[in-house]
Amino acid sequence: MIGLILRRLLALPVILIVVYTITLTLAWAAPGNPLENPEGRQPPAEVMEAMKRQYNLDSFWRFYISYLDSASGAEYARDLVTGRIAREHNLAAQTDIAARSRPVFDFGPSLQYEDWTVNEIIAGAMPVSITLGALAILIALGIGITAGVVGAVRPNSFADLATLTVALIGISLPTFVIGTVLLLVFGVWWPILPVGGWGGLAQLVMPSLTLSLPFAAYIARLTRMGMIESLGSDYVRTARAKGMGERRVLLAHALKNAFLPVLSFLGPATALAMTGSFIVERVFNVPGMGQHFVNAVLNKDLFLIMGVVLIFATMLIVFNLAVDVMYRWVDPRIA
Amino acid sequence: MLRLLVPFVLLAALVGATILTDPPPKPADLTFINGTGEINTLDPQRMSWQLDLRAARLYFEGLTANDVFTWGYDIIPAVAESWDVTDDGRGYTFHLRDDAKWSNGAPVTAHDFVYSWRRALLPDIASDYIAFFRLIEGGGEFYDWRQEALDEYEQRPPSQRTAQAAETLWRDTLEHFDATVALEAVDDRTLRMRLTEPTPYWLDICAFAVFYPVYEPLVSQYERPNPDSARLDLKSGWTKPGRLVCNGPFVVTRWRFKRSMRAEKNPHYWNRDSLAIDSIEMPVIEEPNAMVLAFETGAVDWATDVTVGYRADIIQKKKNFYEENRAAYEALKAQGLDQFEIDRRLPDDPRKNIHVIPAFATYWYNFNCLPKLHDGRDNPFHDPRVRRAFAMSVDKQTLVDQVKRTGEPVAGSLIPPNSIGGYTPPEGLGYDPAAARELLAEAGWPDPARFPTVEIMFNKDAGHDLIAQAVAKDWQRNLGVSVSLDQKELKVYRNDLKNANYMVTRAGWYADYGDPTTFLEVNRTGDGNNDRKYSNPVYDDLLDQARVETDPARRMAILSEAERIIMEEDLPMVPFYHYVTVYMFDPDKLGGINPHPRATQNVFLLDVLGDGKGPDVARTMPVLPPSPAPGADTP
Repeated sequence: MIGLILRRLLALPVILIVVYTITLTLAWAAPGNPLENPEGRQPPAEVMEAMKRQYNLDSFWRFYISYLDSASGAEYARDLVTGRIAREHNLAAQTDIAARSRPVFDFGPSLQYEDWTVNEIIAGAMPVSITLGALAILIALGIGITAGVVGAVRPNSFADLATLTVALIGISLPTFVIGTVLLLVFGVWWPILPVGGWGGLAQLVMPSLTLSLPFAAYIARLTRMGMIESLGSDYVRTARAKGMGERRVLLAHALKNAFLPVLSFLGPATALAMTGSFIVERVFNVPGMGQHFVNAVLNKDLFLIMGVVLIFATMLIVFNLAVDVMYRWVDPRIA
Repeated sequence: MLRLLVPFVLLAALVGATILTDPPPKPADLTFINGTGEINTLDPQRMSWQLDLRAARLYFEGLTANDVFTWGYDIIPAVAESWDVTDDGRGYTFHLRDDAKWSNGAPVTAHDFVYSWRRALLPDIASDYIAFFRLIEGGGEFYDWRQEALDEYEQRPPSQRTAQAAETLWRDTLEHFDATVALEAVDDRTLRMRLTEPTPYWLDICAFAVFYPVYEPLVSQYERPNPDSARLDLKSGWTKPGRLVCNGPFVVTRWRFKRSMRAEKNPHYWNRDSLAIDSIEMPVIEEPNAMVLAFETGAVDWATDVTVGYRADIIQKKKNFYEENRAAYEALKAQGLDQFEIDRRLPDDPRKNIHVIPAFATYWYNFNCLPKLHDGRDNPFHDPRVRRAFAMSVDKQTLVDQVKRTGEPVAGSLIPPNSIGGYTPPEGLGYDPAAARELLAEAGWPDPARFPTVEIMFNKDAGHDLIAQAVAKDWQRNLGVSVSLDQKELKVYRNDLKNANYMVTRAGWYADYGDPTTFLEVNRTGDGNNDRKYSNPVYDDLLDQARVETDPARRMAILSEAERIIMEEDLPMVPFYHYVTVYMFDPDKLGGINPHPRATQNVFLLDVLGDGKGPDVARTMPVLPPSPAPGADTP
């Protein structure tokens, strides 16, 4: 187990550098100038040149190296060793202004939103995306497992067909349709929920429900298949034969084994729910990471693109690792 | 089995923790959506976006201000209580009021303005509006000197690029500024400057947000010379709540990226007693539908830029509402009332809440004016007669009524009529296909089938495709030429536009300040925004004449003649319509918004009617007897 964790953690920087290189190459090759305001007044040419130099946007390799240096934490480590950070702190103390916060992994400034660093933007948006994704997965598990168990207990019954149909709709319908319908029903026609924004539990209901449905549908199908398989197995027959109650048979024996495929789906699903909620964020005006990802690409905001991509990649890797670890812990046969 | 519950518990704990630590904002006196996205910067010297400028007017105050409830946007005192202008129109002395304070209680002095304007004149800051600051005598020289000094510094060997060397260059720069730039704080309350030319709109420019002061003790801490390049390292952070020191009616008390910004009344603002609201919440809503829903469910009081796809349909509802109340509407309009006041006096109706207001902006099509196209072919649009013929064969009225459908007024000129006091734009060319065909024949194209295929380039967003189709149809039908549509992604479109890699393309312009040159300079030979590569010495000469003309009426006449040349003779571009902005607010609940064609809204003037704060009577524009404001709602 420890070997697995170590191996994966050692692979992490390698994967991230590959992701970094590919993303930066693509983003750099995309047409357009990140310093330009697409619909407005253009700064004079010499101003543009000065800004390009300031942000290392005049040379791919200079940008590649300098950004890798600051984002990987190498610059911070160097400044820590050479004592530069301590000097900056002293200077700040003398001049009576708060010291510049130096993040270890510095993703740079946002080119579009000059008052913000990419670290600040991500720090504000990540809890939102993680909360939304986590809640969506919880709801998906609740709905999916219930539906799956109901379907497996009475296969081909009305309840089974109904849940299968709903699952199929959940998988097929895009979230912007589900989201808009929910908005219309619970926000406008029968206004019991706020139409958007972020803050209270009420504002979380519609977006997390919308985000959860495709996952719920998939979990329902996985659970149903797993349950049908384990309900026909020997140990379930044994359990019933020794007179165990049907409820315990289902939950303690059948479901426990049927849950394993769901658990392995949960890793990528959680990462996906937390990172891929762009459409839901937009429909419900949720200030999460997905919108920054898309807008950064549209604005060619290089620092923000790289920051968000690196964080997303890290999240995907870490969640997959977490699930693998948990999988082994739950089911020692796997190790 | 218990182990299986661990992931559930972890996820639930995560959700609970974020919700508990992130409470929703308190209700504010006024909640409004500023534009369609997040503010780009609160640093006045670096601004250029509408929503940033609107926020700047909330947090900062300049020497002068526009009285937005006059049709001329008259200049009124702000931080300066009075000013003197020398007879040659080039020397200005501003006298600052003694009760102007920063939000930390320190007085606003003439030195603050010198610091801020010097900041704008540094290439390090990269102000988009550097051209305005170059109007100050010596400003241009100073900027160029600093640029050269920085270039020289970068050539030095690394051993000579030290913190000390950068600091020395910075001190030299400050000295050089004092020696060359005719901008000086005579004392704490007197600011004197000399301009390179008489600039009749200088007071208007002083009211422009880019000229607002920033607080030196704060900002200078974030801008230190970088030892490697000697340039100022611009660190963000000073515009954040708790740190930002400002001198306007409000202060920022919370700002969460792409979520919301909150402003509270500035207790040190000299004119605080005039404010009718104490707190403002500005949520960011980027999705147009969500924005409309937020207004309709009462979550926001005012949406400043409604861009939903069904905009035309809700505007039609407003027109139907006027139609149903035709007699009353006509009578109120005849009294010369402004469009919001008319709405207030009409019967209650939810359809009243949608408002089409003119924007200080024009939508047009560019013709490439170069003799050759980018790929080396001869450019038929090099001939002004051809451009004129194409301009005259677009049925703008039908375009606006049938395609756009959002209430834009047809444009004959670049500058929206009545938007600038004392200026009358030319009539422009009318729709005349017969004359257009003759003109085309005269230009050497008697057989339009032999005319090269006209390529219209546009970006695929915002309905430009529909307009391009309509224009193509007009040109095919009226002139007999073949037209192809060339749809591009925004960044590509932008690139091709800048490199004149097109034949005909859509474009537009949102103007900055209350003078015709804000529109006309973009056609000067070599101007950075002259995407048409148009060049006419007569036109340039007229602009130069206007520069030195001190008699305001004569100057306006010269500029009007310049606009006539481009709008009736040379047609480097053909204007289709003046933009409009669609607001949503309940006129019976909200006062303080003005319907002027320049559309500058000062949010601190807003008054929530009936809340017991402020006068609770909506301010209105002065009655305009003969002709109503252009672009006003018409049934």
